Amino acid sequence: MESDPLERGAEISQPRVIEPGYTISTVTDKISSIVLGQRTRPGWFLGFGASFLLLLILLYAVTVLFAIGVGIWGVNIPVGWGFAIVNFIWWIGIGHAGTLISAILLLLHQKWRTSINRTAEAMTIFAVLCAGMFPVLHLGRPWLAYWLFPYPNTMWYWPQFRSPLVWDVFAVSTYLTVSLLFWFVGLIPDLATLRDRARTRAKQIVYGFLAMGWRGSAVHWKRYEMASLLLAGLATPLVISVHTVVSFDFAIAILPGWHTTIFPPYFVAGAIYSGFAMVLCLAIPLRKFYGLEDFITMRHLDNMGKIMLATGLIVAYGYMMEAFMAFYGADIYERYVTLNRMVGPYAAVYWSLIALNIVIPQALWSRRVRTSVGALFAVALIVNCGMWLERFVIVVISLHRDFMPSIWLMYAPTRWDWMTLLGSIGLFLTLLFLFIRYLPMISIFEMRSLVTETEGERT
Amino acid sequence: MMATDTFGARFDRTQRRAFILGIAALILAVLDGLRAPEQFFRSYLLAFVFWLGFPLGCAAFLMVHHLTGGFWGLPIRRPLEAGTRTLPLLTALALPLLLGLSRLYSWTHSDLVAADAALKFKQPYLNLPFFLIRNVIYFAVWWTLVRRLNRWSDEQDRTGDPLLAARLENMSGPGLLLYGFTVTFFSIDWIMSLEPHWFSTIFGMIFMVLQVLGALALAILVAGLLSQREPVASAVTPDRFNDLGNLVLTFVMLWAYLAFCQFLIIWAGDLIQEIPWYVTRAQGGWAIVALVMIFLSFATPFYLLLMRPIKRSVQTLATLCGALIVINFLNVYWMVVPAFEKSGPRFYLLDLLLPMGMGGIWVATFLRQLKSRPLLPLHDPRFEGALEHAD
Amino acid sequence: MPDVMATKRIYGLVAEFESPDQLLSAARRTREAGYRSVDAFSPMPIEGLAEAVGFHSTRLPLVVLLAGMFGAGGGFFLQWYANVVSFPLNVGGKPFNSWPAFVPITFEFTILCAALAAAFGMLALNGLPTPYHPLFNVPRFVMATRGRFFLCIKARDKKFHVDASRQFLESLMPFGVYEAEL
Repeated sequence: MESDPLERGAEISQPRVIEPGYTISTVTDKISSIVLGQRTRPGWFLGFGASFLLLLILLYAVTVLFAIGVGIWGVNIPVGWGFAIVNFIWWIGIGHAGTLISAILLLLHQKWRTSINRTAEAMTIFAVLCAGMFPVLHLGRPWLAYWLFPYPNTMWYWPQFRSPLVWDVFAVSTYLTVSLLFWFVGLIPDLATLRDRARTRAKQIVYGFLAMGWRGSAVHWKRYEMASLLLAGLATPLVISVHTVVSFDFAIAILPGWHTTIFPPYFVAGAIYSGFAMVLCLAIPLRKFYGLEDFITMRHLDNMGKIMLATGLIVAYGYMMEAFMAFYGADIYERYVTLNRMVGPYAAVYWSLIALNIVIPQALWSRRVRTSVGALFAVALIVNCGMWLERFVIVVISLHRDFMPSIWLMYAPTRWDWMTLLGSIGLFLTLLFLFIRYLPMISIFEMRSLVTETEGERT
Repeated sequence: MMATDTFGARFDRTQRRAFILGIAALILAVLDGLRAPEQFFRSYLLAFVFWLGFPLGCAAFLMVHHLTGGFWGLPIRRPLEAGTRTLPLLTALALPLLLGLSRLYSWTHSDLVAADAALKFKQPYLNLPFFLIRNVIYFAVWWTLVRRLNRWSDEQDRTGDPLLAARLENMSGPGLLLYGFTVTFFSIDWIMSLEPHWFSTIFGMIFMVLQVLGALALAILVAGLLSQREPVASAVTPDRFNDLGNLVLTFVMLWAYLAFCQFLIIWAGDLIQEIPWYVTRAQGGWAIVALVMIFLSFATPFYLLLMRPIKRSVQTLATLCGALIVINFLNVYWMVVPAFEKSGPRFYLLDLLLPMGMGGIWVATFLRQLKSRPLLPLHDPRFEGALEHAD
Repeated sequence: MPDVMATKRIYGLVAEFESPDQLLSAARRTREAGYRSVDAFSPMPIEGLAEAVGFHSTRLPLVVLLAGMFGAGGGFFLQWYANVVSFPLNVGGKPFNSWPAFVPITFEFTILCAALAAAFGMLALNGLPTPYHPLFNVPRFVMATRGRFFLCIKARDKKFHVDASRQFLESLMPFGVYEAEL
């Protein structure tokens, strides 16, 4: 393929995707030493410890939930979908950036993705795990979750395939499976590197087992690259379908505020938006603590800021169309829901959403903001909060006042709701800390290719 | 310049013929229209919406390229720019429609509005003065975008000032925003309000994707035709056409995705405000049109564009893009005409004459604009080195 | 016959190179010299290397396509069978064969089957996992996953002869030539 013109432009004005001075071996050593180093850094223990504490909170909240039931949560009738579903959508949306970075940018030959795709893919898997947990917890009898799958059973009964909730089961489980495959296939050559560089017997055995005897044969590489491309080609429509199906959970129903045709593209854009925000929230501290500024350069941060801006604007377009059609459609219920969002009892939530998700991120138009690490981190954090609020607005405000005023009710989360949300962040971070300690967080073999190519350009 | 002279002659000949054909078709259409003014404006709206898609889609795609860059933009940059410069023609062609608004839109009739609660509610938006003001705004925005895109690109050719590329990039973000905003409301005003009870929040997006797909197909078709000669010949490489083919594939999939989402949500909801739109379009003869569209707008191009040899062959991809333009017309037809013909498609000569007439003049204008500037951008720093690969 | 014994006990001869370009040209020259059972090893994919050792196309896309078609057919059949044949149930007045509602799961099944085929098909065609491989007996071979490039002429090659092949490999100016024992 031709070299990406952005890549060429990089030499003139833009920062590079990898700082100069690296060779194939030094790249290998620098990245793998983070994993193979004998001493674990105290900062890691601190972060892991804090995350693990949050995870313990989750375990406690879930144990109590299993013992008593979903009554400990704030859900009621009519707000049957409370925090659990809000968190579910929030987490699964965060996962989307990982697939997007690894699949779509691979197909677009965007070389700058190389240093962030591994972490982003890991983030996807952990986020989907956190997401998948919530509907199961919400089932009431989570030990019967397998009823969601079609299997021959004594009741001679099938899942209701016309229901988007069943589509969700298939979409999320397919997404988890394919993300794992994609991630693991990407890891195989690096696991072989770790196997060959490990000095303790235990590590050699574990990494050797996982590397499955990879030895970098030219024929293997050929099939390997083909498989990566095919997986990327499959993952791209998949990632779009997943959040589309999540949006169907709402849009297929006829509830005002849920039943609107823009939901699929606007959910997908929102997912990518929050996903990139999360990647930034993770990448900025990681590059600092592990000294990876040469690999995750300002160019990456700038590009991710631009993608956030673009997807954020699509989200804003979605809000605008929803509000406009609520009036243009001349339907009294739609109109009421929209007014209820803006001036009803949850108006504060709605307007914070607009501020956090739409107004503040407009700062990303400025190059100064996009190239300032601190400002970018702040905006990313704000967007993550904003996107959580968006799901709260969609789930709770539409449900708490629907067609029949006699059953209108307010919804308030209990401490168990908050503990589960916090705890899920703990689960996510715990997995992430384990990942950066035991697996290379940057794809070594792709960085080697990048090094050879940039060398070739200079000669 | 010897070789290009005969090429230039062929250019002029095509331009002249298109113009004569267009004028002839338009004269016939007007004569036929005097007999059936109702049908005249319906067919006119169909033709107008279809042809307006090209300048607008070209502008949008041009801005996408200014934002993302990529050598694939080299061969199609000038066709896209020439496409945008047909906007003045389309603006002139919009004027006759103003005479037919009351024949097209039921919300212009005060008696109908008074008898219908929903229409009455919509009156603050759907009324003639506001409709006209909005359209003046849309066209003003489009004119501004098109003027800037072309002026700066022209200046770039003449002066080679590297800052102009940055300026084009900087205007493209807000430009796309304005494009999305205006085209969405344009589609609501001109098409959605034909059936004033119906609404769909995704509709504007579908409309934009159709426009961009049509413009992209046009640009590739033109680049393919020009690629027989220099200078475009050396700008067209199999790799670039592969990238362009992938872009077409992306937009084909995007269209199918959005169209299916709209259908599935409305089908599942089955609400009285929404479902009639599809009931009309999936019954009788319209069902056949819909099926043909699934096959021709999605299944066939999707299947063909998955294959690398097709994308890498300049002639094949250009031919496919030509076919996609025709299919795009069918798409607009299926979107607009069922508003008038509830029971099924009926053949009207005007549905053929007016799109052809407008098309003839459009093609002539397009060709005149195309040859008024070099066929490749001369000094765009983004394309630096793009011609070095050519053999 | 000590010579024959020696050739029987080794898997092949391995030459080590320092750069991808050296490996690529060495691989080409080895093929030109008439060797057919040749393989090259590198820490990252190198364009044209597979072709240089005589490998041209992989059947993987076909496998994936077939798996995807199976997934599409199977996914739709599952829903159609459940709703039309096994347990027809009127929900919201929708037809039993509600094909628009079956599209999402059909799509997910297509992707699932195709992706499984892509990953496991790649592993299977590559013969992975391979817990033991003679090349791992070469101490220097650990560098193949770090920063060095290796070329192997296998002993099963008709043209293979320990001394002659070693001489040939030496002529390619490698960093070193090693024997891989079985």
